[in-house]
Amino acid sequence: MNDLLMYLTNGVVIGIIYALSALGVSLIVGIMNVVNFAHGELYILAGYFSAIFASALGLGPIPAMVVAVAAIFVLGLLMEWTLIRPTYGDDMYSLIITFILSIILQNAYLFIFGPYPQKPPNWTSGASNLFGLFFYGNQRLACLGVAVGVIAGFFLLLHKTWFGRVVRAVSMDREVASMLGVNPVRVNLLAFGLGCALAGAAGVILTPIFPVTPTVGVGVSLTAFVVVVLGGMGSFSGCVVGGLILGLVENLGSAYLDSGYKHMFGFVILILVLFFRPAGLFGQKQL
Amino acid sequence: MKKTTWRKATVLAAGAAMLLGMAGLALAEDTIKVGVVGPRTGSAAATGTAFDEGIALALERINAKGGVLGKKLEVVFEDTAGDPQKAASGLEKLITKDKVVMAMGESHSSAALAEIDVADRYKLPLIIAEAWHDDITKKNIKYVFRAGPSNSGVVDDAILGFIKANGFKRVAIVAENTDWGLGIKDLAEAGLKAAGVATEVFITERQSQDHYTELNKIKNFKPDLVLAFVYGFGVHYLIAQSNEVGLVPQTALLLEGAGPPSLWPDFWKNVGDAGNLELFVSSMHKDVMLTPVAKEFQDAYVKKFGKEPTDYKSRSMFNTLLIAADAINRGGSTDPDKLVEALEKTDLTVCSGQVKFGTEKGSYRYHQWQPPMLIIQWQDKKQVVVYPKEAATGQLQKK
Amino acid sequence: MSTRHAKVPSARQELLPWLAVLALFLTLPAWLGEYWLGSAIVGLFYVMMAASWNLLAGFTGQVSFAHAAFAGVGAYTSGILAVKLGLHPLLGVPVGVAAAALLSLGLGALCIRMGGIYLSLTTLAFSEILRLVINNEYEITRGTMGLKVPFILGDYSKATAFYLMLAAAAAVLLVIRWLLKSDLGLMFRAVQNDEVAADSLGVPVTRIRVTAFVISGAMAGLAGGLYGHYLTLITPHIPSLDLMFLVLAMAVIGGMGTFAGPVVGALFLEVLAEYIRVWGEFHVLIFSLVALGFARFLPGGIVGLATAWLTRRPARSGKGGAA
Repeated sequence: MNDLLMYLTNGVVIGIIYALSALGVSLIVGIMNVVNFAHGELYILAGYFSAIFASALGLGPIPAMVVAVAAIFVLGLLMEWTLIRPTYGDDMYSLIITFILSIILQNAYLFIFGPYPQKPPNWTSGASNLFGLFFYGNQRLACLGVAVGVIAGFFLLLHKTWFGRVVRAVSMDREVASMLGVNPVRVNLLAFGLGCALAGAAGVILTPIFPVTPTVGVGVSLTAFVVVVLGGMGSFSGCVVGGLILGLVENLGSAYLDSGYKHMFGFVILILVLFFRPAGLFGQKQL
Repeated sequence: MKKTTWRKATVLAAGAAMLLGMAGLALAEDTIKVGVVGPRTGSAAATGTAFDEGIALALERINAKGGVLGKKLEVVFEDTAGDPQKAASGLEKLITKDKVVMAMGESHSSAALAEIDVADRYKLPLIIAEAWHDDITKKNIKYVFRAGPSNSGVVDDAILGFIKANGFKRVAIVAENTDWGLGIKDLAEAGLKAAGVATEVFITERQSQDHYTELNKIKNFKPDLVLAFVYGFGVHYLIAQSNEVGLVPQTALLLEGAGPPSLWPDFWKNVGDAGNLELFVSSMHKDVMLTPVAKEFQDAYVKKFGKEPTDYKSRSMFNTLLIAADAINRGGSTDPDKLVEALEKTDLTVCSGQVKFGTEKGSYRYHQWQPPMLIIQWQDKKQVVVYPKEAATGQLQKK
Repeated sequence: MSTRHAKVPSARQELLPWLAVLALFLTLPAWLGEYWLGSAIVGLFYVMMAASWNLLAGFTGQVSFAHAAFAGVGAYTSGILAVKLGLHPLLGVPVGVAAAALLSLGLGALCIRMGGIYLSLTTLAFSEILRLVINNEYEITRGTMGLKVPFILGDYSKATAFYLMLAAAAAVLLVIRWLLKSDLGLMFRAVQNDEVAADSLGVPVTRIRVTAFVISGAMAGLAGGLYGHYLTLITPHIPSLDLMFLVLAMAVIGGMGTFAGPVVGALFLEVLAEYIRVWGEFHVLIFSLVALGFARFLPGGIVGLATAWLTRRPARSGKGGAA
């Protein structure tokens, strides 16, 4: 029983962070119909930045995180303006460009940051005795808390602000939204930047637990895609539910089945979803 | 039309120039080249740095004494990243493009096993420095030598001896799913079972970052020692997380069976206080000077790099280059078969002892020299040798 | 993007330069050193891969990330049969091709209907699943340790391998060229340019796409099988995203949607790689930057540039806006 609770807890922690990461992808897909293959690389970059800002600039862990995410946001705006904008309407082209970009970034990281894993200092250390039944790292619990906070913040943004309303409108029907006076170019720019920032947020939250190396981005991107498809493209609550499901399935699956296939569960889920219910759990977008 | 034809001709000429460039011209040089293979990228990239240090010190020493056959010795380093395909193509490049007379190094068994076939095909003497799998020399390939540990040597001499001497009763073995990990795991498991120690095996990935699930299963086994055969950053996470779940060092000690990961600069950053009381294998310790060459290496290292050497792979590469230069000089030629003959007759003092290669076919001891291995424990961030007794600088601490 | 208006060579005099190149290649083992001959063999592998990927992406608009995976299927099938059953590679490779074709049929049938992003994601997922299976079932595949397999034919000889690869590459290119000129090719372009219109004219859109997918996958399987037995060592490097990227970059840089593009791209990048090899780890970075430059500013690739320069038509650059 202790074991099961531990796996469940781990599944929830990992799942929430998957959800946060997926929100970034979902936002960009929903607004622009663009799949950002470089998503994982932005996640890593935020991690690297937070590590560097914390050590080189001597910032505390929290300010380092905020600055890192802000930097990624700006980078996202830049990316949209120079690379993505010319590809509007051509899905294949943006796919290829972001794929190439992800390879560039991976290799650039190797060049700039070296092959060794980097991480910012832990915000907290030690372990807590959860439910009096098992030990669990404090840092992981702290990450869970922050991730939940950021997700809550995102939903607040979505439902209480002007920008959020625009995002929801464009997600539902782009043509009608533009007919109603929404400036698609500016929305795209901001949405892309925000999507990248969300990737960055997931990165800075997770890096203290799982240090970043130049190549872990691919796994992050793939996981985010799986969650988005599972939850349904264009649905944000779908991301949260999808992320939790994936986190739990992965942890329980690797605990009771073969742990070598931990990452395969996600892909199997992806294929099953695409086969039986391509719209995902809460999907709104037409194929 | 004329302009178009002229342009077409230019394109063809460009293509031809490219092809001619490929035909290549070798310039005669006044050096003798040897190749080094090793990981500069990948999960053991720090070993590449250690190799570089050893190479730098060795070249200084060798060339100061007159080089090889009156010429300077030059090293060409090819990154193999622990990948057998890169290793095979890298060694082929050293042979066919750089025309090295000998090659050496390597720290990953899977890569080494690919390299020995290439060496055999091209008849190039290859001295493996730090790849431990028995098969490397067990295959009895004429051109392959090993001036470093073998799995059997490490397990029989160091690990089993240590476990028996300290009375551990339940050992959990965590092994990476590579040639080295699986090979040494098999030997350790067999040896422990024969000694009546309870064991259970857990297989993991070298670069895995999340070990909570496995650690939970390990905890349920209630070991008093965890043998970690993971040669990469993954072992740092394993140690840190095993501390978080209350396993190490609270109820069990951990012996890291490769060595270098416990010596890498990022070890303490990644592992934190969980690194205290961690054990690891090594062939070098600053208070254990087995030969005068060891002292010379230590002094040269401090002088050149401004710090004490910590990663024993740098010294291992240093040793290997000395052996290579010695063989070339004694053999008096760069002919492969003469080099093999010279290597077989090696009787050289290096940092870790006296080098003599086995010449009897039929086992892994063929063309193998086993340097003595130590078991070292981190105690308050200081390295303390705890095994074997003759070399010990302190006592084993359990909690 | 220029790929919407895929160009196909039309006149018979287009054949002449190809014959000249073939003649040149036939002489290579005579004077090219051992090292560069090895490079040429690898280059031919990439020619097959880039050309068959381009058939899918450049001519039918489907960006598949499973191409390297299918090469891996060909390699591992043939390799495992050789190791476990002693099957000669020349017999094993066709089995590998069949396996790759079968899997691409299954995968194609699964995701063709979805199109666009979903297709790319599914192929990506398939590629990763294959990689995971190969890594985990190391008892059979030897995972990251590498599977040692016999050489493709007889004793190890780069010349033998070269001629076999050359024959295979020529065959692949001939098939692609024949396809593009045929009715099937016409339907490919119809489907790529305007799916709805093609459908309304009775073009069996789904079947066309699946057919392209299968042919492309089978070719990748052939390339992978031969390559694996040339290296005599099959590792997860073959079905890896790194290799997939190289194939994509070669097609993009050479010129997607053209017949010569992938060939030029593959050979060019392979030679370039050898020169950049001095900088070891960074040659992929350089490739990817070049690829990005081409994708963004010169979608016609090298072939597009060369064609424009040779015929004095203004080179296409950049992208106007939404298609």
